[in-house]
Amino acid sequence: MDVLLLDIVTTAAILFIVASGLMIILGVMKLINFAHPAFLTIGGYAAFVITQLGWNPWLAVPFAALVGFLLGLIVERVIVRPLYARPLDAILATWGLGIVIGQVITIAFGRQVQFVQTPISGAMEFLGQTYSTYRLVLVILAIVLAVALTGLLYFTRFGLNARAVTMNEDLARGLGIDSTKVRSVTFGLGAALASMAGALITPLISVDPNLGLPWLVNSFMLVLVSGVSIPGLMVAALILGGAQVIVSTYVSAILGGLTIVVLAAVILRIRPRGLTSG
Amino acid sequence: MAKGAQTSSAKVHFAAAKPRSDIRTVLKGGVLALLVLGVAPFFLDIYTVNILIRALFLATLALTVDLLWGYTGILTFGQSAFFGIGAYACALVFTHWGFGAGWAILALVLGIIAAMAVAALVGWLAFYHGAAPLYGSIVTLALPIVLTQIVFAGGRTTGSSSGLSGFPTYYWSIEIWFWLAGAFLVVVTGLAWLFVRSDMGRVLVAIKENEIRCAYLGIPVPRIKILLMVAAGGIGAIAGFGYAAFTNVVAPELTGFLLGTELLVWVALGGRGTLIGPVLGAIFIDVTSSYLSGSFPFYWKLLVGILFVVVIVALPQGLMPVVTNLWRRLVPGKRSAAEPAKLAAAPKREIAESVDKPLIVRGVHRHFGSLQVLQGIDFEAEKGELLSLVGPNGAGKTTLIRCIADGYERSGGDITIYGKPLGRWAPDRCVALGIGRKFQAANVFATLTVGECLRVARYRLDPPSTWASDTILNLPEAALRIVEETGLGESLATEARHLAHGQKQALELAMVLALEPSIVLLDEPTAGLTRVERERIGTILTSLTERERLSVLLVEHDLDFVRKISSRVIVLHQGRIMLDGSVDEVVGSELIRNIYAGSAQGGRGDPE
Repeated sequence: MDVLLLDIVTTAAILFIVASGLMIILGVMKLINFAHPAFLTIGGYAAFVITQLGWNPWLAVPFAALVGFLLGLIVERVIVRPLYARPLDAILATWGLGIVIGQVITIAFGRQVQFVQTPISGAMEFLGQTYSTYRLVLVILAIVLAVALTGLLYFTRFGLNARAVTMNEDLARGLGIDSTKVRSVTFGLGAALASMAGALITPLISVDPNLGLPWLVNSFMLVLVSGVSIPGLMVAALILGGAQVIVSTYVSAILGGLTIVVLAAVILRIRPRGLTSG
Repeated sequence: MAKGAQTSSAKVHFAAAKPRSDIRTVLKGGVLALLVLGVAPFFLDIYTVNILIRALFLATLALTVDLLWGYTGILTFGQSAFFGIGAYACALVFTHWGFGAGWAILALVLGIIAAMAVAALVGWLAFYHGAAPLYGSIVTLALPIVLTQIVFAGGRTTGSSSGLSGFPTYYWSIEIWFWLAGAFLVVVTGLAWLFVRSDMGRVLVAIKENEIRCAYLGIPVPRIKILLMVAAGGIGAIAGFGYAAFTNVVAPELTGFLLGTELLVWVALGGRGTLIGPVLGAIFIDVTSSYLSGSFPFYWKLLVGILFVVVIVALPQGLMPVVTNLWRRLVPGKRSAAEPAKLAAAPKREIAESVDKPLIVRGVHRHFGSLQVLQGIDFEAEKGELLSLVGPNGAGKTTLIRCIADGYERSGGDITIYGKPLGRWAPDRCVALGIGRKFQAANVFATLTVGECLRVARYRLDPPSTWASDTILNLPEAALRIVEETGLGESLATEARHLAHGQKQALELAMVLALEPSIVLLDEPTAGLTRVERERIGTILTSLTERERLSVLLVEHDLDFVRKISSRVIVLHQGRIMLDGSVDEVVGSELIRNIYAGSAQGGRGDPE
């Protein structure tokens, strides 16, 4: 029972970390970034590079975030900006970008599966159970991330501008907020979060050019169900991630893989704006 | 709609339908394509023919994606699922049950039925009144993922992740397979060509352009989308069946999300909404991929990815329009655009005399959360009455109009239209009761011509042909008058987006009147019009009420205009009816002066 509980909490934490970048971009820019898995992959390979260099594995996380941020700024300028008026096309263009990034990585690193050095290995005693230390650390990191994002959105100038753009872009522009800059930084931030998430999950999974792909649909569904808010995403990750763990444990792992998608489709049919909106 | 006797007077020239179709073009093109496909295997090596057969089946699937996405605007990630269902129907029946002509037919039929049933389920889930367009895409994204997992869960039966292969099949010569796949593609393309150029095809484009306007024209948008999804699913299943029977291999990838997105890449590159573009795009990219997969697999996929991004960003219509424009420039010749349909008068309809009050509103209220926008609205409208709704911004005028035109809108209260209670119905059913609503901002179908916009508005009364387009467009007298008096009659072949603002407003009004409504709801129909245009509309409105005995409900800010044309005025303020009386009573009242002079402050935000 306790193991199940730990599985649920740690799975929810991982889902939260992976989906947060997608949510920031959707929230502020009203844009679904289908290149999200590609940025996860970039983060995975950033961690791989750090391992190859023999550096401290914890450095992988800031390094991945930096690479993601810079790349995000470029992508926003070149591909995303012309598509603000065509949100469905933006999905497709970012998906195409994902194909491009996947192929570039394949050409650069090869198609084979790589392994990354784990920052923390082994297990520890927790609630009377022996449990993977790294997964427990991810829970703490997820909480830190949620606090940091909330702080960024509610206690900084950028956050104020971003929230203004989120609510009413025209009005925000009229008040002198440079919404182009807000969008650009937001995309960079979202890409950085995705890359960071990629670096954080690589110790749990192997690194290959398609590493991000399986996470796309689940992240997307979680973000929509969350109603695009940080507490909403935590709740959605706990509920849907929890359901996934329970179904995987008691029914079958294959059906567990379907749980989030199916539940999300049903929830969104009943509450089209997700859990947290009135 | 009120039950009106369909009488025809001597003056009316009601014209019978004279459909015109593209059947000749299609036959010519089809025969040419079949000839090319007929001789092609003799000039190509076996390897090429082999990969072309696969590509032809996939091209048919891409064609269904173009129908859904390119024409109707349904961005689907899941068309691969139906292909997979057809393929697995073939593989499962041949592997586990038996092989032979009977089994083959059974497998094909089972595949089609299963695909159509799944498509109906997906459509029912995805398309409902008020659904966000993104939700449909979400469901089509979930579908292939669910199916792939089911295949994985199937163990030995479905072959799980390695799929099924080596089942018995028809080892016909490769030419026969090529011809079968080619003939199937040509037939489906020909039918799709006729379909999208028919009047029904224009309705699909209208749905893509403006789904809400469609619903308020009485078009059952969810039903049309579901039916299209079911048809596309059936065709996809046939293609998948052929693919499996030919290649003798099925794998979970055939149902998967990645194939679903690849289809979108092919369609976007070829040119969405062109049919031929997606077909050529699918064939070209799939064949080239097969060729290059040995030597430069990653670089080719990289190139396709880059090209896809560039096309989406810079050339959203894809490559096909570039080719056609080049062709037109290089090969000049007479290319007369299809003649717009000729206008004719629809048979005159009488307003039912048996009903006393066309519109009865009792205790209607509407709230958004705790915000009360309408409370206790009670009023009636008479036949032949032009009833104006006035009041400051945020008084709830537009909300009241919406409550009458959309059965889901009100929070409580009863509305009766020609003696029939208005249920919790989507706007398209409200139209059937006789309601026509004009929106505040001009709301027309930008890429359809004026004639096509009017045709779409006749959806309910003159059901559109599925395979042809009618050369006659029947309109009721009131709509005809607007078309003639505002000069729209000369621009029937002009796309609506090229019209001036005043003409767009007039076109939308004509579209609403083309519904032959008994109750017309007009939300500031003269906003942004010149004085001359406004007076013309005013004259038409008064004659509608006086001669045809329609009830018109008009939201208007211009009190002079209201005074000139109304027979009665209702003043709304802060969600309540403050005054209901004759023009003189209301316009001269203290209240009106107070509200409009701003001394009665009650500024609450307009809920819209």
